[in-house]
Amino acid sequence: MDKTETLPRDTIMPLRGLKNRLSGRLVLGAASVATVILAYVWITNLPNNNPALLPPIRDIVGAFFTNVASGNLATALGASLFRVIMGFFIGTSLAVLIGCLIGWYKVAEYLFDPLIEAVRPIPPLAYIPIIIIWFGIGEFSRILIITIACFMVCVVNVIAGMKNVPQVYVDAASTMGATRLQVFRTVAVPAATPFIITGYRIALGAAWTTLVASELIAAQNGLGFLLQEGRRYFLTDQVMMIIVIIGACAFLMDRAFRKIQARLMVWSEARE
Amino acid sequence: MSEIVVDNLTHTFGKGSASPLTVLDGINLKLESGSFNAIVGTSGCGKSTLLKMMAGLFDPSDGQMTLDGEVIQGTDRRRGMVFQQDAVFPWMTVARNVSYGPRLRGASRAEQAEIEEKWIRMVGLTGFEDRWPRELSGGMRKRVDIGRVYANDPDVLLMDEPFGALDAQTKERMQSDLLETWSATRKTVVFVTHDLEEAIFLADKIIVMSARPGRVHHIEEVSLPRPRTNDMRLTDDFLAIKRRLWAMLEH
Repeated sequence: MDKTETLPRDTIMPLRGLKNRLSGRLVLGAASVATVILAYVWITNLPNNNPALLPPIRDIVGAFFTNVASGNLATALGASLFRVIMGFFIGTSLAVLIGCLIGWYKVAEYLFDPLIEAVRPIPPLAYIPIIIIWFGIGEFSRILIITIACFMVCVVNVIAGMKNVPQVYVDAASTMGATRLQVFRTVAVPAATPFIITGYRIALGAAWTTLVASELIAAQNGLGFLLQEGRRYFLTDQVMMIIVIIGACAFLMDRAFRKIQARLMVWSEARE
Repeated sequence: MSEIVVDNLTHTFGKGSASPLTVLDGINLKLESGSFNAIVGTSGCGKSTLLKMMAGLFDPSDGQMTLDGEVIQGTDRRRGMVFQQDAVFPWMTVARNVSYGPRLRGASRAEQAEIEEKWIRMVGLTGFEDRWPRELSGGMRKRVDIGRVYANDPDVLLMDEPFGALDAQTKERMQSDLLETWSATRKTVVFVTHDLEEAIFLADKIIVMSARPGRVHHIEEVSLPRPRTNDMRLTDDFLAIKRRLWAMLEH
């Protein structure tokens, strides 16, 4: 039985033209970023610009080197990254665990779903005061806030992923003799992976948002602390520099995540 | 031996509710071991429902079905099913899909490789072992699906309009290939379709169902010789059966 409708291999995935489109996209993206930077340079060079409000780029770069030299930046970055990664890791791990149970097992859904739905609309930052009252302003409190934020945004995606597993895959596995647990492991989890990864990426964004907020309110170190210090001593160049650093960190981590996503999702039609 | 007996089976959706809907009413059937059976009928005659019950995906509200005397309850690997929709797992390569069933039961790497090689060859996909389903055409994915079910070695093959979404030429080729595989293995097949030509070409026995509620209207024994070839589709005998069944579905 060798009469398939065989396709030549190179027509299976038409890749021609993709390279051109990618470079066009890169050029446009670079152009838009460059325009914003040039506009900033132009404004800061106007005769009546107040450098205390809009510091010129050389001052921002200067603040960067000063803080690198003093070691302040490395310390702050280390402290903040530690919090983000801890909160992200704990929050998303719990979200995947609990989300899978809620999305797959009716009993777990009936038990936990009302709770999650009730708590979901509360912005994680609203917990800051009560967490400070209960646990003080230590490291634990800051990581806890980030954990809550990551958990809440991620768990919703995991649940949605488990609920959107196409029934035909479940039926196919069952008729091939898969037990309920095997269906969960070999069908539901992989089928939900695209949703779960999206959950991770949103959680990463949430981690950075809550990190800065929690450090602005209560911290003796970290990037949020340097921002706060910059405001207090009117070091606008330092504030600007930290904003750029946070943006760069979040961007790089998201990029790394996309790489992981692309690798995990080679099988998917929609990999981006 | 793998004989299916349907005994006075009735199914009502929303039983006990204000508007219950009886989709199957008093079905009695005996499908012999190793035979190729087709179920035809207009939409709404409950043919897919009947097939899903044979798979054990849900239970009838009344009556029962047996496979070799054992009451059918719940899914079992002895009753494999090919679905109308695309059921190939997109997160597994062609080879991994085909060896999915044996892997569930802890087949060794070597056993899996052997099964993959055999069934990928049987369904004509040699060379595509490491491809992702998204890289294949609809017809090729159906081949993966059929290979996967066969590789799981069920006693009965339940097929729910598996070729419904394919173009005419691909469909004809898939039908011939399916017959070839069937004669090599002689598993009992129950094939649901609304395409009369497909049913006549494939089956030994055609069960014609009427709709609302679904009942067995007629059973046609197809006496066309085997192996069936494509030129038979235009013979007088073939067309006579087609005309007769057509009239019944119109009635």
